[in-house]
Formats: sequence, structure tokens, C-alpha cells
Amino acid sequence: MRPVGVRPKLSEYIRSIFERLDFLGVLASSRAQAENQNTYLGQIWTILTPLLNSLVYVLIFGFLLNSRKGMDNTIGFIVVGTFTYGLFSSTVTDTAKSIRSNIKLVQSLTFPRVILPLSTALKDLLVALPGFVVMFVLAEVSVWNAQGLQALMPHRWPLVIPAIVLFAIFSAGVGMIFANFASRLPDTIKFLPFILRVGMYASGVIFSISHQIGNQHWLLAGILEHQPIAVFLNLFRQSLINESSIPLDGSYWWQAALWAVGIFVIGFLTFWRDEARYGRE
Amino acid sequence: MAASNEDLEFDVEVDAEDLPQGGPTDSTMGAPSVIVNDLHVKYHVVGAKVRSSAPTKDSFLKKVLRRGKSVAGGHTTVHAVRGVSFVAHHGESIGIIGTNGSGKSTLLKAVAGLLSPSEGEIYVSGVPSLLGVSAVLMQDLTGERNVMIGGLALGLSKDEVNERFDDIAEFAGIGKAIRLPMKTYSAGMGARLRFAISTVSTPDVLMIDEALATGDAAFRQKSRDRIDEIRQEAGTVFVVAHSLASIKAMCTRVIWLDKGQIVMDGDPAKVTRAYREFTKGERPVPEPVKK
Repeated sequence: MRPVGVRPKLSEYIRSIFERLDFLGVLASSRAQAENQNTYLGQIWTILTPLLNSLVYVLIFGFLLNSRKGMDNTIGFIVVGTFTYGLFSSTVTDTAKSIRSNIKLVQSLTFPRVILPLSTALKDLLVALPGFVVMFVLAEVSVWNAQGLQALMPHRWPLVIPAIVLFAIFSAGVGMIFANFASRLPDTIKFLPFILRVGMYASGVIFSISHQIGNQHWLLAGILEHQPIAVFLNLFRQSLINESSIPLDGSYWWQAALWAVGIFVIGFLTFWRDEARYGRE
Repeated sequence: MAASNEDLEFDVEVDAEDLPQGGPTDSTMGAPSVIVNDLHVKYHVVGAKVRSSAPTKDSFLKKVLRRGKSVAGGHTTVHAVRGVSFVAHHGESIGIIGTNGSGKSTLLKAVAGLLSPSEGEIYVSGVPSLLGVSAVLMQDLTGERNVMIGGLALGLSKDEVNERFDDIAEFAGIGKAIRLPMKTYSAGMGARLRFAISTVSTPDVLMIDEALATGDAAFRQKSRDRIDEIRQEAGTVFVVAHSLASIKAMCTRVIWLDKGQIVMDGDPAKVTRAYREFTKGERPVPEPVKK
């Protein structure tokens, strides 16, 4: 006989997740299919949403406000920024809500609850993939358009794959931390959009941090440039666009890998610690 | 069930005190499958508040303050199960009765491992599975997908679910609707599919929360047969229902809950008779069974 309704040992917990990897995968892919199914344009929205987003930002920040300082290729810079931050933002939002939005599942079946945030993060990655193809095409066309054919760097393109994988792992970790937080304090979900918006402006999604604030506040700029999201954005820009201020730099890849693994482990442990509590709120 | 030393120890401690006086009539009673020891379950409800309905003569300022309080910071603790102890055995089929809000569903959810105990402990041998009316899986997805998700969540492999898919579809008997999203289903169809999914992998402990009320006569008969089958395979079945007739027909033992406590536990005929007398107002609620 075994006790019911208590947190399992960590080793047991991890084993039970591996036993249910199929469940995690099917949940993620079914959810990805169900996404946008209530609209006429359906799956086209997975491409259209980030496309419209980057259009808005390119217009406002690239041309109207003229914050093009420090960018060789404004459109490419902003497009890569918005598509990439879009993955982070949707993953964190959906993952944070994953317990609440699957409450029926939680209340009717027993399984390691962390499968919900993990499958949600995987779903958001799957949904974002078509958008990343669009981002790639747009970025390369803009490089060609702004800097000429010789500025394209095909040998760096494959780097975008590890960048996506690391960023998805990092986002899932942040999402698990917020999911746990939201289960204690439901109001977290209401705060989240503001946190994410601040995160966007503090990460240089649509402007170059060092050129916009580097002159006045070198310390602030230094912190902002080395916080994890800015590091990840840097990886994507290293691999996809040709910016003189963003050279290929291995130290960024190490930093990103550490952030991804570290935050994922912290998120997982925080989530596991409260395993027995989910569903009772 | 593997009878380890730990189980035996626990058995001796709890069994002697908590065995029902009447005892189940089933002669094939097996080893314990569920042990519940002094269980308390409290819900923390955010955004709700118990307000006193008594009219108060306060100053305007106090009224405004009170109104302000009701806008933010509301939370309430609901003490749904208050010190329940019992032991269930393999092959038993236990009915749980009680008025609305007496803690029946909460008790089942706790035994199923879906709610953690606030106090006390629950031990279960094998895999518990709860079948509830409101236990919709995923509205947006087809019945087919829901079968896959439900089966995988219960711990089956993809192949095993595919293997049993035809059985499940046939048992649910909802025809081509299995390829439609579950939100298009009628309440009865949803309940049938959920029943079929929940019983796909002969759970060791099956808990049914008023699911038998849904479905037509033919399906009710089919589900009753399936429950008997599970019971024969040395599983334990818990049934929460308001229909005393179906409880009497299916159960070998009945537990009567009132305000989160056990007031009677034993022979179905005896307990249901007492409960019926109580609901007609012929007798007061008996004192809760004390340890």
C-alpha cells in the first residue's frame, strides 16, 4: 500500500514523468492542433500574429520614433526580437495558467502535475515553429535588402536551432516558477502581462540597449544586456542577422545554456515541492 | 496486493478500531485496499466570503469600510471532510450516501489522490481511478483524442490504448460522434465516453460519483455489469449516489456521511433504512462514529 495525496520522492516523481512521456507529447500536439481552431483563418494565425506584431513595432519604433540607433538592419533587428520574445511571452503566460486551464484534468485523473506546464511549453514551441520559419525568411530578406547579398551568412543559420531549444527550456522553467506562484496567489496571472511588457522593453526586443541607454547609464545597460532574455535575443541575432554590434560570441552561448538549465531545474523543483497541493485551490 | 510488513503494521493499528459494526455481507472479502485514517480536507476558496446576513446598524463609515472589504481580499476555508476513518477491502463495493454538501465527493477525490489531505492519511493499494459526472477531459478535442489522453494519463502506453480503442468506442456506444469534438456531445454521451475511458484499465479502486444517473437504461445495465466485473477482479468500488435503490442493488456496504463525518457504516439495508427515516424527518442524525 502507498500513501495517497502526498508529494512523491523526487526520483519517483521523475520516473513517473518518463513513464508518461507519451501523455506529455499527445497532450502538447492535441493542444497545438486545437489552438486557433475557433477562427476562420485557423492555423494561419500562428504566422499572422507575430507578423502583425513585428509590423506594428517596425512602423512605430523603426520609423516613427526613429530609434534606429545602433542597428545596421532595423527591420531584421525588430523582426527577430519580436518573434523571439513572442515565444517567451506565450510560453510563460500559458504555462503559468496551465494548472487552472486544465483543472478538469487535474480533478479527474492522477498523474505528475508537472506534465501540464511541460506539455503546455511544448505546445507553445510547436505552435511557434511556423512563425520561426517566417522570421527566418523575413530576417534574411531584410539583411539582403539593407546590406546586400554579401551580408548573408548561411554558415551561421543552423545555430538558430540550438538557440530555439535553449530558449524553450528557459521559458518552460520561468513558466513553471510562475505556475507554482499562481497556484499560491491567483492574482499572479493578472500581474503577468505587465511583467512581460516590462521584460520586453528591458530586453532590447525593439531597440539596441547599448545604443539607447548605454551612454547615460552604463551600469543599467550592462545589467540589461546580460540578463537572460537579452542574452537569448543576442543568440538569435548572432545566427540570423548581420549586425556589427552583435558579433558571433561563444560566451553568450555558455551563458544561455547555464540560464536555461539553471532556471529549468529551479522551476521544476519549485513545482514539485507543492505537488500535493495543485487542484485544491 | 503485496502484504509488506508496513501494511500489516498499519492494519493492526487501524483495523481493530475502525471496522464497521455491521460488516460487509460479501463472503469473498479480501485484503484491505483502502485505509483512511482521521482524514480532514479543507478547501481554500479565494474570492469568496461568508457574509453575515444579519442586519447591522453601523455608522456610514463602517458600512463603507465593510463594502470595501468585500471588494478585495475575500477568501474562505471550507472544512469539507472532518475526521473520517474507514478500511475498505478488495471485492467490496461501498456506497456513500448523505445529503448535498456532506463531503461525499470530496472524500472520493481525496481517496483518488486528487485532493491532498489537510490532516490524517490515506493508503491505497494499486491505482485508484475516479469517475465523476463533471470530469470532462478536453472539450475542444475529439472523443478519439480524449480516449488517447485519458488512457495515457491512466498510465497505459500508446499501443495499449490503440489496442483497446475499439472496445472503448463500442462500450461507449456513441457511434461516429467519437470523431467529433467533445463539446458537441450531449451530457449523456459525454458521461458514457468518460465511463468507458475510466474503466479501460480495470483500476484497482474505482470511484464513481453519481455517474450512473446519466445514460439510458441499456447503458446503465452495461455499466452495472462492468462494475461487477471490476469487483470480481478483486477491485474495490466506491459509489456516490442519491438513488438508494441503486446503492442497495450494487453495494455490499454503505457509509453515511453527514457534515463531513461518518454517522453510520455497515449493512446496506440497515444504513439506507436509517438514512431514509432521517430524510423523512422521522429521526435525527445519529452521533458521528467516534474512534
